[in-house]
Amino acid sequence: MVDDLIIGMAGSGGDGIVSAGESLIGAAAAEGYFAILTKSFGSQIRGGESSCRLRVSARPVLNPGGTLNVAVVLNWEDFLRFGGELPVGTGTVVIYETKTGVEPAQIPLGGTIPEVVLAVPMEAMAMTAAGTLQAKNNVVLGLLAGWFGLARESILKGIRKKFARKGEAVLQGNERAFAAGLDYAEQHPLGDARHLSPPVPAAGRKLLTDGNEMCGAAALFAGCKFFGGYPITPASEIMQYLGREIWKYGGSLLQAEDEIAGIGAAIGASFAGLKAMTATSGPGLSLKTEMLGLASVAELPLVCVNVQRGGPSTGMPTKPEQADLFAAAFSAHGDTVRPVLAPISVADMFGVTVEAFNIAEQYQTPVLVLSDQEIAQRKEIVDPVDTSNFKLVDRLRPNAQELENYVRFRFTESGISPLSHPGMKGGNYLAAGIEHNELGAPTANGEIHARMNDKRLKKMDPLKRRRDLFVFKGDPDATIGLISWGSVAGAALEALHLARAEGLKVRLLVPKLLYPVAEEVYGEFFAPLQRCLVVEQSHQGQLYHIIRMWVPVPPHYEMLAKSGANPIAPEEVLGRIRTMARG
Amino acid sequence: MSTECPLSPEVFTTKDFRSSLKPIWCPGCGDYGVVTAIYRALATIKRPPHEIAFISGIGCSSRIPGYTTAYGFNTVHGRALPIAQGIKMANPDLLVLVAGGDGDGFSIGGGHVPHAIRRNPDLTYIVMDNQIYGLTKGQLSPTSPRGKKTSSSVYGSMEDPVNPLLYVLAYGAGFVAQGVPADMEGLAKMIEEAIRYPGFAFVNVQSPCITYGDADTQLKTQRMRMRKLEAEGHDATNRLRAMELAQEYGRTLYTGVFYRNPNPPPTYESQIRERQQNLRGETMALEQLLSRKSTDDENLTAS
Repeated sequence: MVDDLIIGMAGSGGDGIVSAGESLIGAAAAEGYFAILTKSFGSQIRGGESSCRLRVSARPVLNPGGTLNVAVVLNWEDFLRFGGELPVGTGTVVIYETKTGVEPAQIPLGGTIPEVVLAVPMEAMAMTAAGTLQAKNNVVLGLLAGWFGLARESILKGIRKKFARKGEAVLQGNERAFAAGLDYAEQHPLGDARHLSPPVPAAGRKLLTDGNEMCGAAALFAGCKFFGGYPITPASEIMQYLGREIWKYGGSLLQAEDEIAGIGAAIGASFAGLKAMTATSGPGLSLKTEMLGLASVAELPLVCVNVQRGGPSTGMPTKPEQADLFAAAFSAHGDTVRPVLAPISVADMFGVTVEAFNIAEQYQTPVLVLSDQEIAQRKEIVDPVDTSNFKLVDRLRPNAQELENYVRFRFTESGISPLSHPGMKGGNYLAAGIEHNELGAPTANGEIHARMNDKRLKKMDPLKRRRDLFVFKGDPDATIGLISWGSVAGAALEALHLARAEGLKVRLLVPKLLYPVAEEVYGEFFAPLQRCLVVEQSHQGQLYHIIRMWVPVPPHYEMLAKSGANPIAPEEVLGRIRTMARG
Repeated sequence: MSTECPLSPEVFTTKDFRSSLKPIWCPGCGDYGVVTAIYRALATIKRPPHEIAFISGIGCSSRIPGYTTAYGFNTVHGRALPIAQGIKMANPDLLVLVAGGDGDGFSIGGGHVPHAIRRNPDLTYIVMDNQIYGLTKGQLSPTSPRGKKTSSSVYGSMEDPVNPLLYVLAYGAGFVAQGVPADMEGLAKMIEEAIRYPGFAFVNVQSPCITYGDADTQLKTQRMRMRKLEAEGHDATNRLRAMELAQEYGRTLYTGVFYRNPNPPPTYESQIRERQQNLRGETMALEQLLSRKSTDDENLTAS
């Protein structure tokens, strides 16, 4: 038995490969497994190549994993287009369509010769069982259920649910296709050793969700009453979720004419007293930056979620990358600090989004959440959110006494001044992008400008001491350190476990607060270190450089940085840890 | 109706809406007349200043919210309308005014105008149209006439101007008027009517730039050139005729109401309230993600 299984499948758009992956993860959730499903497409709307990667385990799954345990190839051309996204090793069981006409010894894997290569007439089986090629993916499900001991009852239940509305004939055809796959697997056994161990008896129900849905749900939980945005891959699902839900909470949503209007309307709603949000991806973030500056200077709370994709410009909209950190931290002009947060998993997206609203309200500032395509769109089985851990923060509003002689931008010790909103008698003031004095009156006085800059920056200082915005793991006295962020942190976390299992001493720091840079937190983490590796999915190593701008780093400070769409596998990180350990 | 406050016993005068800030405008600027007309209109509307949100973009005229006692928001160049719509959506009870210049509204912000119009929020958009960029010292603006020589077009403009009146009429604005500061009475009345119109209302004010503007646009000549639509016998419910008259922009200085939709369609915010009420009490998807609620496994997968 194995306790962890990584399955990669690829085919043409109409092959139903992604649908098969969704069936599998749905069944895994019902059985009480943990799993992550990532889907990958060409950028075509329909057709073209599509693939998915499912990692399923009885234990919590931290990342989509590296080398596949199982590869399902409906045609080689499509499979090979995904390159490093679906890596095959000698231990991979390769299942491919007989009709591709490739001999098992000749499979085009660039010299890799897997031990087990199985040519299966999946199309022919689908035609015999169901009379249609569309049933092909259920043949695949039958094969996988049979060979790897996967959730067969739950898969069947899922098939029945899915085809119930399509009539008895279609349903039976698909059931037969699934059975044909199972039979084939039984007739060509691979042995129980490849079966996935059963899930730990369920400790309560599990949820199947993705990061964008988590983000929308968390916004509502946090009290968000307004969303303004514009469709963009891979962030649109946040708007779509809120477009269904926010009205029920007495809120509203504007699909604006462009990215600028989307964030503008959200700033307007915040000015009017509501918790407000916008969401976008790279190009949209570029368009929104002037407005982010406005929110900073007018000191208005705002949450801006940026779901990172491959860039620059249009880049690779359907692929993950972590290359918007510089843009998030530094894009708007002038002296300003906008807090930047990043979730590390689908489950974490909830807490990070709530935290973003809290920080925005507390410090009257725009807050950026750097999600990424991986977290946003992968399906993940998670435990239900325990909301007892969350406190909600609302902006400081003026009391009756303060309204008698209201000074909107009053210099206070914390830098935070009470914020009124239209409708509040006595709270009338002028908000402006233009520099202003305490009353809000425009000014070009250098002394006032310096004091206002100081006010706007110092109010964020306490954030840098928020250790709860950092994850610390591993051995406190280790001299080797790892830093990683966002979805890639899952790979680093798994690498840490693997390294410690080998007896290596390593410690890991995962910042969820990326900016402002928490000098003290990094300082303490770095203190005992001789070597430190920053693991991230960008070509330049953006976090690597940002940390270095503020903090003295260990003698050997390195990066494992790769451009987007090139997954970083735990084994790869482990390799670097071993090298560091050798000195 | 959001523009009335029948319960308020207060009586307002223009002073209640005038702030203590001293305008930065040049002596003789048309915008002084516009802000005075706004004070007068607001005094007749009888909404207290704290229930008014006055939003602007960037430019000489966009300084205007600061010269009133309303909640003001002097935002970024060209984006007053989206911000104002967010405010109105967030709190439909507010009286929302939007103001800016011709560059703000029809050049950098021109893309927002059609969308505000088609949504039809109940807000009043006042453009102070002076055919020039004044704050940046006299460059060509989107309403500058063809051939106009400015600091950025020393040999003369090679472009036709935008016609703001035709622009908003074409997209379906429910209330469209043009005024001049030289006719204070008429301008104040027109702004008042625009505020009272239940939907998107547009007022183009030919507000002369004393420093960079042409001599024939100044207040004195306005008095001679202006032709009141009312006196011409124009029927303001006739949209096609309004569009015909609007074609005269840049040639004939018509003032008054070009168009007022006799059957105003529902406002954006009234539809928002309706949707909120209709969906209140519906099952909330969020509950399913939280641990306090138990769900059977059939509902596990969010398909």
